[in-house]
Amino acid sequence: MKKWLARLSALSVALVIAGQGQMALAQEPAAGKKIVRVGATQAVDSMNPFLAVRLISTSVHRWMFGYLTVPDSKTLKPSPDLAESWTSSPDGLTWTFKIRQAKWSDGKPVTADDAAWTFNKIMTDEAAKTANGPAVENFESVTAAGQDLTIKLKAPQASMLENPIPIMPKHVWEGVTDIAKFEAEQYPAVSSGPFIATEHKKDQYVKLKANPDYWRGKPKIDELQVIFYDNPAAAIIGLKKGDIDLIGRLAPSDFQALAGDANIEQWNKQGRRAAYLQINHGATTTDDKPVGDGHPALKDPKVRTALHHAIDKAKLVAEVQNGLAKPADGSIVPPMYTDFFWEAAGEEKISYDPAVANKILEEAGYKKGADGVRTMPDGKKKLEFRFSIHTDTPVEDKLAEYLTGFFKEIGITLTTNRLDSSKFTEETGVTGLFDIAISGWSVNPDPEEVLATHLCSRRPNAAGEGGGTESFYCNPDFEKLYQEQLKELDRPKRAEIIKQMQKKLYTDAPVIAIYYPNDLEGYRKGTITSVTSIPEGDGIIYGGSSYWPFYTLDAKATAAGGSGSGAGGSNTGLIIGIVAAVVVVGGVGFFLVRRRKGVADERE
Amino acid sequence: MTAPLEAIEPAAEQAAGPGDERPAYRGPLRYVAVKAGGAVLSIGMVIIGTFFLFRMLPGDPVRALAQGRNMTPAQLDLERRRLGLDKPLFDQFLDFLTGTLRLDLGTSYEYKRPVLDLIVDRLPATILLAGTALVVAVGLGVWQGTKAGWRRGSRFDRFSTSTSLIFWSVPTFWLGLLLMMALGNGIGPIPGIFPTRGIESVDAPDGFAYVLDVGMHMVLPVLTMVGVVYAQYLLVMRSSLLDEVGQDYITTARAKGLRDDQVRRRHAVPNALLPTVTLVFMRIGFVVGGAVTVEAIFTWPGLGQLFYRAIKVPDFTLMQGTFMLLCVSVILMNTLADVVYHVLDPRVRSA
Repeated sequence: MKKWLARLSALSVALVIAGQGQMALAQEPAAGKKIVRVGATQAVDSMNPFLAVRLISTSVHRWMFGYLTVPDSKTLKPSPDLAESWTSSPDGLTWTFKIRQAKWSDGKPVTADDAAWTFNKIMTDEAAKTANGPAVENFESVTAAGQDLTIKLKAPQASMLENPIPIMPKHVWEGVTDIAKFEAEQYPAVSSGPFIATEHKKDQYVKLKANPDYWRGKPKIDELQVIFYDNPAAAIIGLKKGDIDLIGRLAPSDFQALAGDANIEQWNKQGRRAAYLQINHGATTTDDKPVGDGHPALKDPKVRTALHHAIDKAKLVAEVQNGLAKPADGSIVPPMYTDFFWEAAGEEKISYDPAVANKILEEAGYKKGADGVRTMPDGKKKLEFRFSIHTDTPVEDKLAEYLTGFFKEIGITLTTNRLDSSKFTEETGVTGLFDIAISGWSVNPDPEEVLATHLCSRRPNAAGEGGGTESFYCNPDFEKLYQEQLKELDRPKRAEIIKQMQKKLYTDAPVIAIYYPNDLEGYRKGTITSVTSIPEGDGIIYGGSSYWPFYTLDAKATAAGGSGSGAGGSNTGLIIGIVAAVVVVGGVGFFLVRRRKGVADERE
Repeated sequence: MTAPLEAIEPAAEQAAGPGDERPAYRGPLRYVAVKAGGAVLSIGMVIIGTFFLFRMLPGDPVRALAQGRNMTPAQLDLERRRLGLDKPLFDQFLDFLTGTLRLDLGTSYEYKRPVLDLIVDRLPATILLAGTALVVAVGLGVWQGTKAGWRRGSRFDRFSTSTSLIFWSVPTFWLGLLLMMALGNGIGPIPGIFPTRGIESVDAPDGFAYVLDVGMHMVLPVLTMVGVVYAQYLLVMRSSLLDEVGQDYITTARAKGLRDDQVRRRHAVPNALLPTVTLVFMRIGFVVGGAVTVEAIFTWPGLGQLFYRAIKVPDFTLMQGTFMLLCVSVILMNTLADVVYHVLDPRVRSA
């Protein structure tokens, strides 16, 4: 027994020594610099902004590139970025932007020509449309003269100032022949934003350094690293240990795993996402032909209202989201967007009340059978709905459990239908083979896109192609309001129209919003000394649609490894490592010899 | 598991008595050729199977790609043409077949590079991780198995066998996360000295220090892989040694006055090693596949991670390519195991 103990302790001593050596090695090149490491569980899909669609990639591009405008850090209203000012013609069709005097990171000046090239590339090259094609769909022409950029539109568009396209350096990119195959893996990248990408290893990390010539001034930190984890639980351990300094978009359970750690600040603020139930109220294609096999009862607005009454949203928040969400008394725009958020009040508010739900159903002729389940007024079909969710999502499973309970109270049977994600998308977005489905949307500062997902034109066509509908909704009033808000350039008036659209969705109930999940993040207090969210105060750090939080981030400089003996660090580590190896080998050899002797003794 | 079955065969035939009319000599080359032929046939079936398997998956791959982004019907058509999904099934099959035979596995959607390039890129990391783990697991398993089998019922036997069985029954991801928490993050007095992810530090040093850095990164993934699999080597080694212990030649060896240690090392172990060798070769085939979970936990940039990403995206071309690679490596290694067994064990050769 003793020798085991001795061997074990020798090994652990060696490990500790080797570990310290390793730490010294890893820290050495970073000494004295302000470095912030951001964890991510999503891999960068492309460093080419014409192709990148994932949040992680668009976030990195927001740190790298300038845009025409950027949401203001306090109000989220469009404010100057690379365009320092702009004017629009009275008919709202011609927009002129003045591009500011700034420099690309290779020293060349930024001109309107760069912006014009970027937009024209997307308008003319099919492959370049991959990421932001819809954003230029309404562009008639884009021209440049010196620092003046002129965009002519086909029809007025109020969201013109929320253009999501980064302005690319023409002199670097015009030589690219095939955008679809160009991965833009040339470093340092030429860009004009607060950070310059210096290295990217796919599925491993992205490194960015501060742009010293950034026109707003150099960021406070020297280096920003995005470190990729395949596994969220591993990322949480990484944060606790200090391998990463910040991580955003946490699931409630991961967020709660950070509780009680004195080194970590838990960031729990209202989020940009709305979770809702999608109701198959009679799915149709763009030529108004019915599609799918939705339950006929769901075509009745009264049934949908009754369902809405039967859902205890507060309980869902408490039990399914561990309290880390806000019950939804509005529609698809979450409350963090104060300008556009609409909340039901007074008579139109549908509150949790199973008695009311039962009364509505009873009066509409849906009578309960002997088994307690209601049937259609014609007595033919029972009110048995399917609830489509994704496989392997414990949160959705839990949600299904609670909804089943709620609906049972009002004589409706709900069965859970678990689908893998591609099947789910197909059945709930194209073929209409569902009754009720879980869904959600992360909303941008301008809610135009999420509203557009409920337009008639977003339904799939007769061949079952295309689409992008979140509800198969097609309502003439809603369409009219959508067109109106497009033309309305006065922000408060436009917000009013957008609120009416949400009210329409709320009362018509093609979708029923259940809660707005919070924005859950965590960062290390020891490294990150100051952080400003977007919007300032109770906003988002990672995943907001601007560079503010990372531009304003400040951090503690990494400790210099021993004063002035930077080069000595690796040698010391090496020597310690070798000594440790010798000790281990020697120790093992010694014990082996002893053991051999022991065996021999035993035999003689 | 063909080899053990064939090993029984000669015994049965010999029991039937001598004088049977059968070819006195079958060349080893012929044996190899038969085995290779079988392997080629299996690989062919894997290729065909892969094609149909991935067409039978529920859902439209192009729609799956379009998930979460706003793609117009025109864009979807373009994507479909690019993947060749607009052609009739039979044409698709021919394209796939000729492409695969020319080692053209298509272009990955996620990485926008040829699948074969990606596989070649990722292979070294997986071989480093899974190979090290295999060597350690075999070493540990054979050593403990020998000791446990030789002194059956001893405290060492009970302890090592039950420990290995506990690890064997533990789910890989759970063990991985546990080790990461304990040795990566540190619990109580245990310091968190090992990195939690990747094959190298983001600011990796150069030269010999880099080797150390990679070594440190390997510790936890290798421990996880070893922990979960070494039990099978231990158990096979232990039981085949137990079979040998009762044999007459062991008694003879002892009677010659050999020391216990010598009897074990010179007589028992070489004979008991055969099943372990077969097992090792069969496991080499699974080395690539077995690393999927561990690579996904530790963000190890190998083939397993590639496969995992392919499923998550979903990237069908890449899935197809990696899936075929996994199958083919298992088939090749099984064939090799048959051949090696044939060389090692004279009893099989005479069959």
